[in-house]
Amino acid sequence: MILKTLEALGPLHGFGIARRIEQVSEAVLKLNEGTVYTSLLRLQQQGWIAADWGTSENNRKAKFYSITKSGLKQLARETTDWEQISGVIGRVLRLEGQK
Amino acid sequence: MVMSAFRKMMAKARGLFGIPEKNADFETEIEDHLHMLVNRYIQQGMTPEDAHQAARRQFGNTTSLRERRREMQTVATIDTFGRDLRYSVRVLRRNRAFTGAVVLTLALGIGATTAIFSVYDAVLLKPLPYADPEHIVMLWEKKAPPSGSLDWVAAANFVDWRAQTNSFSDMAALGGANFILTGHGEPARLAGATVSSSFFRLLGIRMELGRNFLDEEDRLGKDFVAILSYSAWQNRLSGKPEVLGTTVTLNDLSYTVVGVLPPDFELVTNTSRNQPDVWVPSAQHIDMQKLSRGSHPFRVFARIKPDVPFNRMQAELDIIATNLSSLYPENNKGKGITAVSLHKQVIQNVRMPLTALLGGVGLLLLIACANVANLLLSRAAARRKEMAVRLALGASRRRLAQQLLTESLLLSLLGGATGLLLASAAIQILGRYLPADLPRLSALAIDLRVLAFTALISLATGILFGLAPLFQSRRRNANETLKQNARVVGGVQAGLRNALVVAQIAIALVLLTGAGLLAKSFWNLLHVSPGFRTEHVLTARVTLPASRYPDVERIAAFQSDVLERVRNLPGIQSAGLTAYLPLSGITNSWSFVIEGRPPLPVGTSNVADYRPVSPGYFETIGIPLVRGRGFTSADSESAPRVVVINESMRRKHWGDEDPIGRRLSFEGLPRTIVGIVGDVHHQSLDGETKAEMYAPFTQIPNTERRPTIVVRTSIDPGAVAAGLRDAVSGIDKALPLDQVETMEQFVSTAVSEPRFRTLLLVAFSILALVIASVGIYGVMNYLVSLQIREFGIRLAIGATQGDLLRGVLRRATVLIVAGLCLGLLGSAMLARAITDLLYGVSALDPLTFVAVSLLLAAVALLASYIPARRATRVDPLTTLRYE
Repeated sequence: MILKTLEALGPLHGFGIARRIEQVSEAVLKLNEGTVYTSLLRLQQQGWIAADWGTSENNRKAKFYSITKSGLKQLARETTDWEQISGVIGRVLRLEGQK
Repeated sequence: MVMSAFRKMMAKARGLFGIPEKNADFETEIEDHLHMLVNRYIQQGMTPEDAHQAARRQFGNTTSLRERRREMQTVATIDTFGRDLRYSVRVLRRNRAFTGAVVLTLALGIGATTAIFSVYDAVLLKPLPYADPEHIVMLWEKKAPPSGSLDWVAAANFVDWRAQTNSFSDMAALGGANFILTGHGEPARLAGATVSSSFFRLLGIRMELGRNFLDEEDRLGKDFVAILSYSAWQNRLSGKPEVLGTTVTLNDLSYTVVGVLPPDFELVTNTSRNQPDVWVPSAQHIDMQKLSRGSHPFRVFARIKPDVPFNRMQAELDIIATNLSSLYPENNKGKGITAVSLHKQVIQNVRMPLTALLGGVGLLLLIACANVANLLLSRAAARRKEMAVRLALGASRRRLAQQLLTESLLLSLLGGATGLLLASAAIQILGRYLPADLPRLSALAIDLRVLAFTALISLATGILFGLAPLFQSRRRNANETLKQNARVVGGVQAGLRNALVVAQIAIALVLLTGAGLLAKSFWNLLHVSPGFRTEHVLTARVTLPASRYPDVERIAAFQSDVLERVRNLPGIQSAGLTAYLPLSGITNSWSFVIEGRPPLPVGTSNVADYRPVSPGYFETIGIPLVRGRGFTSADSESAPRVVVINESMRRKHWGDEDPIGRRLSFEGLPRTIVGIVGDVHHQSLDGETKAEMYAPFTQIPNTERRPTIVVRTSIDPGAVAAGLRDAVSGIDKALPLDQVETMEQFVSTAVSEPRFRTLLLVAFSILALVIASVGIYGVMNYLVSLQIREFGIRLAIGATQGDLLRGVLRRATVLIVAGLCLGLLGSAMLARAITDLLYGVSALDPLTFVAVSLLLAAVALLASYIPARRATRVDPLTTLRYE
């Protein structure tokens, strides 16, 4: 989800990512926002995102995260995986429905 | 997958070193985030306090976030390992008696194992100290069937093999020689070797100084050359590099020194005591091709070409053997050629006893492990509550396991380190008592390989005994443990403990049986009547150089002269000379023909061991004369030739007939049998006695330049050594006397290897007995202490002390009997495996089996009796007050 956000909106800081997720999931996913940072760290360790210091909209120093090439690849992989799985589940559910 | 794991690892590694700076970054990041959330809520109209609270709620637990981050960025195991280690050190220091007991037990086990392994490694495992040693083989003449035994090689055969084979890049002969070095202080005998010029090249040895032999030096000539061993150069000569090009006088001939071997050079086919000091080209004095094919003075080394497989090489040798057999039937008929890899050759006689020793010490280590596991189990019981509290406070089981394993590893490493100290001390002592016939002992040391081995077994033992309490803590529920008072004997735990005790008894029994069998064999060996009397006999060897003693007359004159002088020394009862002392490892067989019997088929012959001796030899060494007479000074060169045979020879060739007065011939000379003497164990005490014939020195055609003087004394034999030396130098100042030993020392050297292995195995088994009984004691003691309350109640309601005692002992007996049954099975298997090491004892010797079982049972019962007594002394009131 973070990858998708970064792909769509370009470099963002942690607060921005949290807002975006809140917005997209329409508050369905109510998590502690702090966990975003754990995920960010994990993604960073995988090399899928990179971090850089920049200035935020209210002129404070903030860490901006952006997606990397291998992150894009991973996103594509996960998207296809997800589509396949959801496709399969969808078909199964439809079969159930036809019965 | 691999890549991402690697990246994670790298990130963690970075985290390990750069935490402080990054932490600060992270803190600002969190702070900013919270700040922005607060601002947003304030904008939505909240009071600042409410906004703060809401923001915190939305963000979540910052502490746990920091923790998670830390865990992700650091190598968690290393970090916690450090913590576990500190904690373990604290626990172990608090519990000194426990730690001491465990470390000592382990140190004994690991130390003994390390010491034996270092011997095993030096002798059996280390690659030979030559270039590409796996391509070096030794070639042997294989006698015609049915004997089929391997023999050294005739010079002419070696020359033919070398010329005709294609499988080898090089082939070299090695023969023995004796040199007397004069002109450098006292005349000294130096062990020598004659070799083909390519010998050192074949082995891949580079000289410390100077050069190898040249091929043109390996033929008949006048300019003699020699290569010296490092120790001869250092101890006998100047030890200075100028020695190159100078001449040394050996056997009254001048040899130019062309090279000095490196200090670590070792001829692995010889024992450490038997390393040659002087090396000369073998063809310098003799024409190899003209030497008889019936005499076998050479060992042959060869290097197989890298691309030639072993079976092709052997096939080629078979063809050559067939050719030589038809070309020279009188000596080569039916003979084969056998190649044996040098490594196999070196270790073949010692592999079995050393493996048995290593196995024995391994069993000892297992017993020690079982004991330590038991100790840890007792302690785990005491720490149950601690563990339960930690579990309840949220420690994961994995973390607890990690902690326990850290503790046991720490213990095992401490034990290993102490064991290493013990081992290095043991090696010092072992070095002195190691049997003389073990090869390659110069490689014996605690080196990296041994260190690695010790580290490995320490870790392995740590894991092995560390697993026991772990296995237990898995099955326990924190809740239950916290509720219960430690008063019930846990079923699982008792089971595991009992199993450990049974295993200890079984292993101890296996060791004891092995030791018992070996000890009985050794006892038998010592009580073999060797055929001669060892007490009050002194022996010494002289070497007569060909330059001053060129012929039989000169040698005979020296011999009668020396006997004359020696017999007049004070304290001497009698004296004699022999060419080959029994148990010296030297022997020689000759074929003979009995007169008046039909000729044997071509290629077969009667063979007996042949020993030239002087008058007085039989009575001096104590070989009994059965019939007829021994030799006297009347049996001179010009007198009719005579021979004395032994009982075995009489039985084998004459049966019920009386051989005295009959005639036989060997070396082409007919002789009359004048006497029969008793049999002697010549080869080894545990071997069969063989047919032997004796002839007087004066009547043999070939010269014997290295006779042994044997004297029987009425005083302490050691006291006449100086007189013996004076007597010899009174005749010829330049004659050195060496190997001055009493016959008792001589025989003791001959049994040094079986004595060594027996002593060690007995020591191991005693140690095993002690450790195992301590183990039984510990377990019974523990069981009794758990049941104290029960005993108190039972006493209170009318049980007698005898009832309780019997109850405890019954439990112990069940364990002991189970252990003995298992142990007997194991012992039977072991006994079969070591059958070759036994002498005069059947592998399943009932006496030994019963005796060691009873011994072990008695000791084990005693060990459990002490805690059982404690059970009966319980005061019911005191125990009940514990409640």
